[in-house]
Amino acid sequence: MAWALFLPLVPALGWLAWAALRHAVPLSYNWRSLWQRKTATLSTAAAIAVVVAIFVVVRSLSQGISHAFVSSGRADQAVVLRANSRVELNSSLERDQARVLKVHPLLARDEAGVLASAECYVIMMLDRTDGGGGTNVAVRGLEPAGIRMRGQVRLVQGRWFNPTLWEMVVPRRMAGRFQGLQLGQSITFAGHRWPIVGVFDAGGSAFDSELWTGVEQLMQARKRDAYSTMLVRLADPGRLASFIQQVDADKRLKLEAKAETDYYSEQTEAGRPIQVLGNLITAILTLGAIFAAMNTMYSAVAGRTAEIGTLRALGFRQVEILASFQWEALMLCTMGGVAGALLAQAFNGIQTSTVNFQTFSDVSFAFTITPGLMAQGVAFSVLMGLAGGFFPAWRASRIPVTEAMNS
Amino acid sequence: MEPIITCRAIAKSYYRGALEIPVLQGLDLEIPRGGYYALMGPSGSGKTTLLNLIAGIDRPTGGTLEVCGYQLNDLDDDQLAGWRALHMGFIFQNYNLVPVLSAFENVELPLLLTTLGRRERRERVMAALGLVNLLDRTGNYPRQLSGGQEQRVAIARAIVTEPEILVADEPTGALDAKNAEEVMALLEHLNQGLGKTILLVTHDPKAAHHARVQIHLEKGVLEKTVEINRPDRP
Amino acid sequence: MKYLHLIWRSLLRSRRRTLLTVLSLGVSVFLVATLQSILGTLDSYAHNPDSANRMVVRHKTSITNLLPFRYGDWLRQQPEVEAVMGLQWFGGIYQDQRNFFANFAVEPEYLVPIFKEEVRGVSESEVRDFIRDRTGCVVGQALADKFGWKLGTVVPLQGTIFPITPRLTIRAIFRSKRASDEMALYFQYKHLEESVPRMQGKVGTFWVRVRSADDVPRLIERIDHHFRDALEPTLSETENAFQLEFLKMLGDYATMIHTITAAVLAAILIVTASTMAMTIRERATEIAVFRAMGFTGRQVLGLLMAEGVLLSAMGGLAGIALAVVTAGAVRANVGTSIPWLSDFQLQGGTLLFCLQATLAVGVLSTFIPAYQAVRRPIVEGLRSL
Repeated sequence: MAWALFLPLVPALGWLAWAALRHAVPLSYNWRSLWQRKTATLSTAAAIAVVVAIFVVVRSLSQGISHAFVSSGRADQAVVLRANSRVELNSSLERDQARVLKVHPLLARDEAGVLASAECYVIMMLDRTDGGGGTNVAVRGLEPAGIRMRGQVRLVQGRWFNPTLWEMVVPRRMAGRFQGLQLGQSITFAGHRWPIVGVFDAGGSAFDSELWTGVEQLMQARKRDAYSTMLVRLADPGRLASFIQQVDADKRLKLEAKAETDYYSEQTEAGRPIQVLGNLITAILTLGAIFAAMNTMYSAVAGRTAEIGTLRALGFRQVEILASFQWEALMLCTMGGVAGALLAQAFNGIQTSTVNFQTFSDVSFAFTITPGLMAQGVAFSVLMGLAGGFFPAWRASRIPVTEAMNS
Repeated sequence: MEPIITCRAIAKSYYRGALEIPVLQGLDLEIPRGGYYALMGPSGSGKTTLLNLIAGIDRPTGGTLEVCGYQLNDLDDDQLAGWRALHMGFIFQNYNLVPVLSAFENVELPLLLTTLGRRERRERVMAALGLVNLLDRTGNYPRQLSGGQEQRVAIARAIVTEPEILVADEPTGALDAKNAEEVMALLEHLNQGLGKTILLVTHDPKAAHHARVQIHLEKGVLEKTVEINRPDRP
Repeated sequence: MKYLHLIWRSLLRSRRRTLLTVLSLGVSVFLVATLQSILGTLDSYAHNPDSANRMVVRHKTSITNLLPFRYGDWLRQQPEVEAVMGLQWFGGIYQDQRNFFANFAVEPEYLVPIFKEEVRGVSESEVRDFIRDRTGCVVGQALADKFGWKLGTVVPLQGTIFPITPRLTIRAIFRSKRASDEMALYFQYKHLEESVPRMQGKVGTFWVRVRSADDVPRLIERIDHHFRDALEPTLSETENAFQLEFLKMLGDYATMIHTITAAVLAAILIVTASTMAMTIRERATEIAVFRAMGFTGRQVLGLLMAEGVLLSAMGGLAGIALAVVTAGAVRANVGTSIPWLSDFQLQGGTLLFCLQATLAVGVLSTFIPAYQAVRRPIVEGLRSL
């Protein structure tokens, strides 16, 4: 969707490139003119750098949030929940329902058994290490099959939990942010001590905000008799739709199934307000930056009327003057863009968190400034250069030859 | 009668890094009240520098200057500014009017430095504009005026505070012959009729001819003084 | 202020430049004003003066755990206590998830005594009707207006946490000081208890109204001490503290917003300084002429500074005006996605800060180039012809 923004760039840049190649005003003239007015150039470039940096960071935030929800699903897996429960937290699945599901013919199997995991999803409160008090975090009880079914989760330290013991494994992202979550430490929950036996990395997906343990242990601790959901994998991904239909149609079960990818993308709505806010901020700042760039370029043109008149007298055509000043604006803004993209790097790796409005539990993610995002930032500055430079360049092209004679 | 301007051993050098470039080297000059002097000489002779020193907008590196009864070396920058406001009127080659102010407002500018009230300022401005014959153009902006008219506004501005001395740097340099003639006639009137002391720097021999005394400078030194006697003048 | 026309006209020297600078400034100030006001609005929830007399009792471990209903009896016996109400967050959906609003199951007879400040404009008979009707509910005016509900309308809710779909009849519509308080629905706790077996004798929170705000800390201690060793221990806190916990869950928005604010202000400063530097450099000759005429360096500096400050002030006011004009739109848009922001209002303190910031930008950005210009020898300015 953001690519729609960049579409008008292509023909504009194409024309500019053609103008530059076709003996137009030499680009070195523009480059050197920029440096003749050092303060103006540097300060405008600095302002653009700030806007681009914010743009890149905000998009990284936006991506991080989407990623945290979307990449959590596989196209050949389905989540089975209580009908209309919407989120795992509010769902419940009885033991006999689980038994019925586990023998469904469409499910996949591997060497260890059927790929179906009955799971329990609860919220507990943990104290943050930054002194910010208690925060709700999600705890997932799962069966060993559940670990096998989530390929994006890798163990980085220690070992997986023993499903018959009171043990927990934690995401690397959370280990430092909450008290008692380091490997070897333990937390107290529902009257039991749970030692942390392993640390995992879920690649930025939703599972990076969950503590994992064995489902039976969790249910015992929480005195629950019913699971929350079940995660299943289908032997043939093409049969996913019919599996969902069958579950829906089965009146005994009163359950519904969703493709895992769908389940998580529905959750993305929770992150939408932040994304909207971020986009709004960027849009507003861009406007401000374009005004600033326009101002600088108008000044540049006004100060060089004699030069421009001379160029015309020498034989350069109006459209070539237009292209030339457009290039100058581009160079100015791209300088700022590159600086801004590099500035954004300072945010790379910073961990932050927000709350999932459905479950009120912590969702952590890290700012990841990828080369792709930086390139987007630079492209954005090119857009600003084109927008901000056009009118002044137009003005420059209209300056009559006679100006060359005036002082 | 005491001369209004007394220069003793005036020297001025510019420094480019460690290099000293002398422009004026030990000049003596006396100008009587009501004098009309033209400073002339080739480029680099120091005539503009001398004008600047006398006008109080530059300081000599050596020597003393007494103008209008004040030792300029004894005045600090702020005092010098106040002194200029009272005693000095400036006329430039390029008029240097403020483009966003009307003719009236341009002439009023120096009066804002005084404690005069609005009505008094208005009276003075109108009087000055009347003197330069531009009462029908008080509301016009510089871009709406011809070069000659702009210079006349500048002259009105220069005299509105009733200074004793007028300094002019190439006042006719940007004007055509007819307007130049008008401006010079005006200056003569200011000198003859109102007793203003006028100091002129010019290349233009016709303009110089309007002065009573021509001072020729060569390489920062006074070369010769020429008295101009014109039959049409006493 | 005889120099005012001079200062003002100087800005009109290049109308385009002045306009672009004002626009640039205005846009940035608008952003800062809106963002900081968002923070301020959220903050005000944790500092609600009306909440001074109220506190919340919940399960010590997690807000999602339940407390025994009988705790309410003990709480009512405390001498400082004026009223106690069991409240359970229901979290039901009306038609579509996007129509989100807060809905709670409460003990109906205590609703008005506890929320005296928020639930207003209901008559005694309406309250009686609510208490008498097991499937009745009370809604806020703003909520009713949004969906076109009236007294007697039946509102079906779809439970998400609890697997029931209650059909509630509106028995009263109340008005509040804050719009966000009116976006709420309260129905009978007994109805929930009857329909959901595991809620029998259990409730999520107790809201307690205390006679005097000074009694709150003491009461908190006593309550938590009393239930310390129970199977369901309690955590009591003031209502403001309770709200603050929710806000903190929003994450580090404060830091992000402050960072963006600082970055934007820095950018404004740089851009304005550059503009002023450009302007002043172009006026080198004019500055020299003024000084020749007799204006002291300080006077010229003052004129230039006044110009810079006036320019920034215009930009600042433009930004504030824009923020004021769009406040309603912001509230409508962001208010639906982030429930607390349905009360979004520009904060007076924020607007003042923005004005001060722009004035500071004006002063700082003009000072250096103006000071340098005034320090230069007069003849240098005149020579540049």
